[in-house]
Amino acid sequence: MEKSFENALAELEAIVKELESGNVELDEAINKYTEAMKLAKFCSEKLNTATKKVNEILTENNELKEFDVDTEA
Amino acid sequence: MEENKYLKISELNNYIKNIIDQDSFLYKVYLKGEISNFKNHTTGHLYFTLKDDTSRINAVMFAPNAALLNFVPEDGMNVLVEGRIRVYAPQGSYQIYVEKMTVDGLGALYIEYEKLKKKLASEGLFNPEHKKPIPKYPEKIGVITASTGAAVRDIMSTIKRRYPICQAILFPSLVQGKSAAPNIVEQIKKADSFGVDTIIVGRGGGSIEDLWAFNEEIVARAIYECQTPIISAVGHEIDWTIADFVADLRAPTPTGAAEMAVPTIIDTNNLIANYKIRLNKNIKSMINTKFITLRNFKNSFVLKNPMAIYEVKEQKYLNLMTTLKNNFLNIIGDKQRRFENLKMNYILQNPYQLIAPLQTKYDLLVNTLKLVNPLNILDKGYALVKKNNQVIKSSKELQIKDQIDIRFAHGTIKAEVQEIKKQNEKRNGVN
Repeated sequence: MEKSFENALAELEAIVKELESGNVELDEAINKYTEAMKLAKFCSEKLNTATKKVNEILTENNELKEFDVDTEA
Repeated sequence: MEENKYLKISELNNYIKNIIDQDSFLYKVYLKGEISNFKNHTTGHLYFTLKDDTSRINAVMFAPNAALLNFVPEDGMNVLVEGRIRVYAPQGSYQIYVEKMTVDGLGALYIEYEKLKKKLASEGLFNPEHKKPIPKYPEKIGVITASTGAAVRDIMSTIKRRYPICQAILFPSLVQGKSAAPNIVEQIKKADSFGVDTIIVGRGGGSIEDLWAFNEEIVARAIYECQTPIISAVGHEIDWTIADFVADLRAPTPTGAAEMAVPTIIDTNNLIANYKIRLNKNIKSMINTKFITLRNFKNSFVLKNPMAIYEVKEQKYLNLMTTLKNNFLNIIGDKQRRFENLKMNYILQNPYQLIAPLQTKYDLLVNTLKLVNPLNILDKGYALVKKNNQVIKSSKELQIKDQIDIRFAHGTIKAEVQEIKKQNEKRNGVN
């Protein structure tokens, strides 16, 4: 299962803070850095290439239909 | 009889009483008025007057009904009452026997609101420990509000503008009127089981009556029981509904709720960029620090002057040897001193002191020995008689013709016993 954006970002934040704490061996730090950069790339891509979602409405028949606020309002 | 025209007062009052008692319209009367002359009798019965601008009527509320009141009546309070009109014959007055009484208008709603708020607070529904955190980067948001109007437009467009990669799903609901509360409850349950990250439930501002559904107990409980975090957005800033108290987060307006529900793409991008900068800075400074440490090691005196290691060891060896030598000399010197001291000892210096008492004792013994030496006696003219080398102490041991040796001080002669004369036994003697 693909990592959720929220989890990826939380992991990224955790690594940044851990590295900034300075309690990491160099070898481990480099591994973590590589991992963090992958996470940052994943998050950026997810954020910027994800297709924009349409708003929807759950109808009385429990069906999802597109919901355009501008015309409905 | 002239007098027969006149009625007793009680007859009149009872007559009127009967008419009124039989009027079914007066069985149940709804009245609206202001309380005055309020008296709370010790029996628990309430006596008061209900009045409006032009009229008044006496009212009584018996203890069993009065006990059910959800407020404390007082003068000047506008109330709605329900009761029966009856005549009190002894006084010739009619009055309303109040069965139910509620506070009129906003006052009533306010009392209900305060009562429910108190109840739910005491049950712990508002406690901070029940508040669920709102996901920071949701992918799906359920919106429960009316499908038309400013609220839905504000929420949906704000989400779309700030965080277009999030899907907003509207669960349309009535938000006003009698059916609103059960409808909101139904949609909360639906959204909860549908699977969304966050739920926004709310409506635009309005009067306290308009917002009333959000003060209903069933809505409050549905929000409390919902597994998905809920942001409430009811009315405008100043109105706090019960729903606001129960919700995991309260937004002042629908737009505010959408802003709390999603981040902006720009902020999120900036955050990621900031993480990257911090990561790079950190790893660079870390490598730099290690590099400097390494260079310091390389430049260290020892690595630059490998002989120094040897020199240090040699110095240490020499120091040890010196110490050892000094210690050895010290030990020898010490022994020497002790030997010298011993040599100076009085006894060693005067060894005769050791034997002098012995010498004295020896001399004494020798003298004593000299005194007791039997041979010394010989010097005085005595002689010692032996036979077969045995000392003869009595003439009885001898017989005639025995060969004997007689020892004098300075020589021995051999002799033969010629005669034995008896003498006193005690006096041994030989001729």
